[in-house]
Amino acid sequence: MANDRFDTPKKPVALDVTDLNNFVYDMSRCIKCKGCYWVEHTYMPGVRFSTRCPSNVWNDFDSYGAFGKMRIGTALAEGKLQWTPKLLEIIYADPLCGACDVGCKRNLDLEIELTLEAMRIKAVKEGAGPMPAHKKVAANISKEHNQFGAPHANRKKWITGDVKVADKAEVLYFPGCSASYRNPEIAQSTAKILNGSGTPFTVLAEDWCCGNTLYSVGMIDEARELAKRNVEAIKATGAKKVVTACAECYRMFKADYPKMLDIATADLGFEVVHILEYADEAIKKGSLKLTKPVEMRATYHDSCGVSRLCDPWTPWKGTRGWMGMVEPRLKRRRGRSGLYAQPRNILKAIPGVDYTEMIRIRENSFCCAAGRGTREAYPDLANSSAKHRLEEVREVGAEVLVSSCPWCKDNFSQAVKENGDKVKVMDISEVIAASMQA
Amino acid sequence: MAISKEAYNALESAVGANFISDDPAVCEGYRSGPGGYESGLGYERVMTTIPAVVILPRNTEEVQRIVKICNRYKVPYVPYSTGFYGPRSHCHVENELLVDLKRLNDYEIDEKHLYAVVGTGVIYSPFQQEAFNHGGYGIIGGGGAQASVIANLIGDGWSPLSHRVGLPHRRILGTELVLPDGEIVKMGSLAVGEDPFWGDGPGPDLRGLLRGFTGLRGCLGIVTKMAVKLLPFQPEKLEPTGIAPNTALALPPKRVKWINFQMPTKEAQVQGMVEIGHSEVAGAVTKVPLFWRAIAKAEDKEDFWDIWGKETEETIKNFHILRVLLIGFTSEEQMEYDEKVVNDIMAELGGISRPTKPSDESWLKNADSAGMWLMCGSYISVDYIIESLSQATKHGESYAEVKRKYTPPLMPDNGDPGWFQSFEMGHQGYSEFLIYWDQDEDTNGVDHFYLETSKMNIKERYYTSLLGPHQPMYLTGPKYGPNYHIFMLRVKDEFDPLWVCHPPVPLAHDEFVERAPWMKALKDWETPAEFPMPKW
Repeated sequence: MANDRFDTPKKPVALDVTDLNNFVYDMSRCIKCKGCYWVEHTYMPGVRFSTRCPSNVWNDFDSYGAFGKMRIGTALAEGKLQWTPKLLEIIYADPLCGACDVGCKRNLDLEIELTLEAMRIKAVKEGAGPMPAHKKVAANISKEHNQFGAPHANRKKWITGDVKVADKAEVLYFPGCSASYRNPEIAQSTAKILNGSGTPFTVLAEDWCCGNTLYSVGMIDEARELAKRNVEAIKATGAKKVVTACAECYRMFKADYPKMLDIATADLGFEVVHILEYADEAIKKGSLKLTKPVEMRATYHDSCGVSRLCDPWTPWKGTRGWMGMVEPRLKRRRGRSGLYAQPRNILKAIPGVDYTEMIRIRENSFCCAAGRGTREAYPDLANSSAKHRLEEVREVGAEVLVSSCPWCKDNFSQAVKENGDKVKVMDISEVIAASMQA
Repeated sequence: MAISKEAYNALESAVGANFISDDPAVCEGYRSGPGGYESGLGYERVMTTIPAVVILPRNTEEVQRIVKICNRYKVPYVPYSTGFYGPRSHCHVENELLVDLKRLNDYEIDEKHLYAVVGTGVIYSPFQQEAFNHGGYGIIGGGGAQASVIANLIGDGWSPLSHRVGLPHRRILGTELVLPDGEIVKMGSLAVGEDPFWGDGPGPDLRGLLRGFTGLRGCLGIVTKMAVKLLPFQPEKLEPTGIAPNTALALPPKRVKWINFQMPTKEAQVQGMVEIGHSEVAGAVTKVPLFWRAIAKAEDKEDFWDIWGKETEETIKNFHILRVLLIGFTSEEQMEYDEKVVNDIMAELGGISRPTKPSDESWLKNADSAGMWLMCGSYISVDYIIESLSQATKHGESYAEVKRKYTPPLMPDNGDPGWFQSFEMGHQGYSEFLIYWDQDEDTNGVDHFYLETSKMNIKERYYTSLLGPHQPMYLTGPKYGPNYHIFMLRVKDEFDPLWVCHPPVPLAHDEFVERAPWMKALKDWETPAEFPMPKW
């Protein structure tokens, strides 16, 4: 196409979240179609369960949806809006679950998720962010290397006598803060799966937090230091594969570490897999045998970190010119690498499990809003989102809600307790372990 | 004059503190641009601003209270359903109240009599899915699956399915409208009872108050509830498939099917529409612009331009695909019959059936208007007309000629004459002309083109829908109607004597031409020394 009659200048641009100006184009092309808010129309189930944005369900003003935030971000980039408590709430009362990003990339390919991250980084850079609850998490990580502030010495208490950990192995299990301190049953179940399938695994001598909350709230310098430290520590073990059972850790290793370190996921020096991928593969190969019946009617909640947020990262910088076209070609991250088939394969392979789907599934899933600093700063948002999702669990008549992230499990469990629901919340590692013969 | 504390307090008492805000960050989220329908153009830059206050009522009673308070304190306000329609549905004056209607999201369906009652916050895709769930279907207007059903129906409200289902005014049944002074008007059968099953009622048909030509952008009140007619559909499930962005509805092959026919000429294409319509078969009969196919094929924006770059004036001139949707409304046999009729017509006209995917991506549930922004980032439908099929199809060619002069900044499209289709079983034709541009270019030419199209319509004596608030009324009014502008202003004065409801609509485009220096050169029509409306 001859475009010499047009004179749009080419501007340098990069997928670099440390500068909000990289996303001015994306913010300026938001058309308020609200594809970020609604369930993708092809999958729209009807008037109930029609949304996928926890923030904008929690607060109805447009500003809490990505379409409002794109306008606010434009004003911030232009220096036309001052930091205020309300502005910080708009930016931080948001689990950054990626629903808006995949929704936008259905039609428009705007980089919504990166823009929202860049807004938080700008807030921190300018001394306005993060929220007080996030600063406490940062202090905990700095002092005890975990986000709860639990004594670091307790990090490996989950390793009970029946768990076999090798000194050196090809596979390294990275349990993360939650499974190490608060949800040992997930770490133990994961270990059981690895042990039971004949896979020797090791752990880091000194496990530190993955830095999820730090990165998510815009504290990129601190998060990058953790990323460097963890990547180097893993490389030093000689492990070739890192297994995690936490969706947030998985997303960090798979996408945000490479993003912060300006490398491709493939260049991390090791492969990153979630226990979902590992178990699905092991079941197919026959090394993991699920023979013990687990009688239950179960449904699955797609945790964001293992679904729409986990496409691998490739650094990109270039120019944007006429009609917004970029050079060199950019392969957009649209959430298509999500682990959508694996959990369903696994649950359907377990004898006794009567599997039923939720109404909003895969890229249309409604986030529980526990992650990425939300529950710490806005517990009401996390709580109401979990309760909203539980309505769907009741609608499909499931007895057990399965997820692939300890943050989801905790948040749903709390909401179930408050509701007085009879629904049981389980991590998928627990369900798998329950189906293995002792 | 700013919105007074007294007025704010009164508004807050109407909805509760959680549903009103004057916070600058909250209000910034309601800015029209810089992106979106018609955004980035002069009208958006010159005529829109952010609200001073945003309020979210839950029901008709709260809307009524808000409107009365606005009249009492002379607060200008704009009704806002989804904000998707771009600058014309956003605040135009300083210190304005934006009434966000998304919480009016009640929905009821009467399966027996086939109608649904919706609030202003209900959008099309759930509306359609609920209809499917109960054996019916409606039309998802070209505005898209994300458009408010009510807002779309009082503005446009058509799609290729209008081939069979007909025009929107027939589907608007009992309706509740809060007039600009706060009085509630109930239309259709709602005027005499609680059942909204019928669109006509005692006294004059006030649906013209809602629609005008193609919508008045809320300047004559706020529709809070509407019963919408549904039509019987076929019983098989349309199954969603794929992962975004590659999703589609898989169609039950014996009950729903799209077929693309390659026609030898445009005349044959138009004749095909007429014949299929007069045979009273098919659920939709439409021609699509070639660049829509490129959008559908493209992996991304860059890919689109690679694909589109291969087209020439010649290939576009010779592109005559007729797209036919067959629906077995009553039985498989009925669809087989329809297909045979269509095939007979095609055989006579030289139409050749082309391989067509057994799925729907665009009209049955997900009218994918958002995809129109993929290739350029900016888009509007600059005009649409409803005419006879033979005349409607000439309209697009005239547009294409005018467009050449304004390319750039408009997208190079090699003379594509736009979209046209059959309405009302071929008894009417529809033509819509779409334009695209890069908003980082100098866009004054787009503003000029938009106005030039009015002059072209007047000169060529084409019917045009985009009158009233969409073009300068003092340009179009004397030529259409005649004296449409005088009539419109009298109606406005009668129903909104204070002009609090979305000022300065319907004189907003007139005002734009006065305020935008680059528009002066095109102004060759008479206007009063001062527009007959209050200043805000």
